[in-house]
Amino acid sequence: MRGAGKGLVWLLGCLVIVVPACRAATFEEIARQAAAARDADHVPEAIDLYRQALQLKPDWPEGWFYLGTLFYDSDRYAEAQPAFAQFVNLADKPAGWAFLGLCEFETGGYAQAHEHLQKALDGGLAPEIEGVVRFHQALLLTRLGLFDQALHWYQAIVRSGIHDPTLMAGLGLNSLDKPMLPKEAPPDQREFIDSVGRTVFTWLSGDRKTEADFHTLMATYPNAPGIHNLYATYLLGTHPEDAMPELRSELEVNPGSVEARAMLALLLLQDGHPDDAAAYAKKAAADQPSCPLAQYAYGLILADSHEAAEHLEIAERLDPFNFEYHVALAHAYSRLGRNDDARRERKASIQLARENDPRGAR
Amino acid sequence: MARVSLALGIWLAVTAVAHGAKPYAGPAACATCHPAQAQSQPKSGMGKAIELPPEQENLKAHPKLAFEKNGYSYTIERKGEQSIYTVRDAAGELSLPIRYAFGVHMQTFVFQYKVRFYESMVSYYPKLSALAITLGDEQLRPRNLVEAMGRETSNREITVCFDCHGTGGVTEGRVTLESLKPGVTCEHCHAGAAEHMSNVSNMSNKTQGKVAALPAKLGEMGAEDMSAYCGQCHRTWEFIVRAREWGEVNVRFAPYRLANSKCFLGADKRIRCSACHDPHASLAHDEAGYDRVCLSCHALQPQKPCPVSKKDCVSCHMPKVTLSDGHAVFTDHQIRIVRPGDAYPN
Repeated sequence: MRGAGKGLVWLLGCLVIVVPACRAATFEEIARQAAAARDADHVPEAIDLYRQALQLKPDWPEGWFYLGTLFYDSDRYAEAQPAFAQFVNLADKPAGWAFLGLCEFETGGYAQAHEHLQKALDGGLAPEIEGVVRFHQALLLTRLGLFDQALHWYQAIVRSGIHDPTLMAGLGLNSLDKPMLPKEAPPDQREFIDSVGRTVFTWLSGDRKTEADFHTLMATYPNAPGIHNLYATYLLGTHPEDAMPELRSELEVNPGSVEARAMLALLLLQDGHPDDAAAYAKKAAADQPSCPLAQYAYGLILADSHEAAEHLEIAERLDPFNFEYHVALAHAYSRLGRNDDARRERKASIQLARENDPRGAR
Repeated sequence: MARVSLALGIWLAVTAVAHGAKPYAGPAACATCHPAQAQSQPKSGMGKAIELPPEQENLKAHPKLAFEKNGYSYTIERKGEQSIYTVRDAAGELSLPIRYAFGVHMQTFVFQYKVRFYESMVSYYPKLSALAITLGDEQLRPRNLVEAMGRETSNREITVCFDCHGTGGVTEGRVTLESLKPGVTCEHCHAGAAEHMSNVSNMSNKTQGKVAALPAKLGEMGAEDMSAYCGQCHRTWEFIVRAREWGEVNVRFAPYRLANSKCFLGADKRIRCSACHDPHASLAHDEAGYDRVCLSCHALQPQKPCPVSKKDCVSCHMPKVTLSDGHAVFTDHQIRIVRPGDAYPN
């Protein structure tokens, strides 16, 4: 998938670079030679010439951008990274942030990569590179443990029709709440992770064989941690009455599962057992305060509206793209008389519902 | 796995309305202590939300109704104590008795065909005193007589229909027509009345000044909670957003529209449903009568006074929206300053 980004480098260069007037004849000559070497695919020569030109004119954004792309295409990410950093200092362009973030991703600067890729996405990218950036962002969010946020990107990626082995691995890791990149997955678990990813891909694609895929997955890996929880989540949309036993099975094979405990709390609440629900939700939120679902479940269950809003706010901060959290917060604020806050959350909910409208954006 | 956004929404959206879990005492029992409400409520719109064949007033008043659309001709003819719904095309006809008339003014009919429940393709519109296509079905193009008769309802849909329009028609999530009481009666909203009655009858409790097992106090609800409560049938704000019911069609769902109003204050009783609508009485059509509700907030300082008028507030701030080729008119509950040319706020 990264290769797809490389192919766009030259096009993006044309799109984002505004060539400033050059003041020195020597600089102009070197810059012309650098461009010619680049066009001829004489990469080492082009790199050398761009370096020379940039020594003469360090505030030349185009030079930094092309130097960065030459390194990037040569898989020399550690050298590409400072070039793109210079570029974005001189020209605050989304494509520059995108390449800077991609370099940071490759060199292991995950937190910075996440920040810079998001900046690129916020600034607006050409569709060709946006897909690449989204995919890396989804991998990063999973690596950073922000599974719910990653899922939003994965949903968009699946909708766009991309089908890639790394995508399956990424989806699998995210679905199993494993904060790692595909390349970091233990070799003995890769087949399992890929199988989970393929099943979730089928599910997100709305494929009718999802049910059959889940049956196969459950039969092959009946005691794998996370598998019953995943199936229960699927069942909520198809056979909700079967979800609760799956969550209990998850807690048997994986007693520490915060997600299963939080989901169970929500189902118990819905079934009219608020006391049992509260116990599960409280433990889930205490065991893993960074789990948005646990915070959400506890926030819904709490009778004290102020305290409930606090937990829902945490859930929303952890997963700002989650429709459910905004809806719950809108109700909580409204009950508290925080009408401006409620109105803001209602607007956010409507916006998310429109953006995720399966009939297309409205 | 944290897939709440994928599945939880679906699960929440399909969670059925839960009414009638407790045994019913019946309106007559409630009337012993609450005679005024017991007298007016059965005559209200909610009290007549379903009519059985002998009481189908619109069909009795119009013993023969006819309509044509999409190559099909529709008639509803009164025969004795029931009305017969017939659809014809060039190839033949299909006739079935109307089992239930849903609604008070506009009425849509429910009939059974081969065990399944169907919603009629045509409805009665009082504005026309005639039949026209049922609201929401305008785009349907039936391919045969059965489809032309109406739309087959899912189990879930018909359960919700009977649960909201009647009392006791749904037990533990299943349609139980044998216990259906037409219309919304006391215990539809005030669940637990039987237990309450039993407790009131207990002399020892009376003498101790205790009346335990009171039904939920709906009068204590603020606007947000009451919208959620009434919205179980009239559709909550959340339901409409989940269902993505965008456009003018959502004007039918007052709790959604009201919650989008700038003046909707969730913790305040002055903007809740019952501030304007007495659930024990028929809908008031006198627009001036609603002024007192608006002025309960807007007469107070430092509210900016309306530069246009001090009366008939709703005539401007809650405009009428016409749907279904002009047959159906709804009051928009999104209270706002309406400017000419403004698009429908959605």
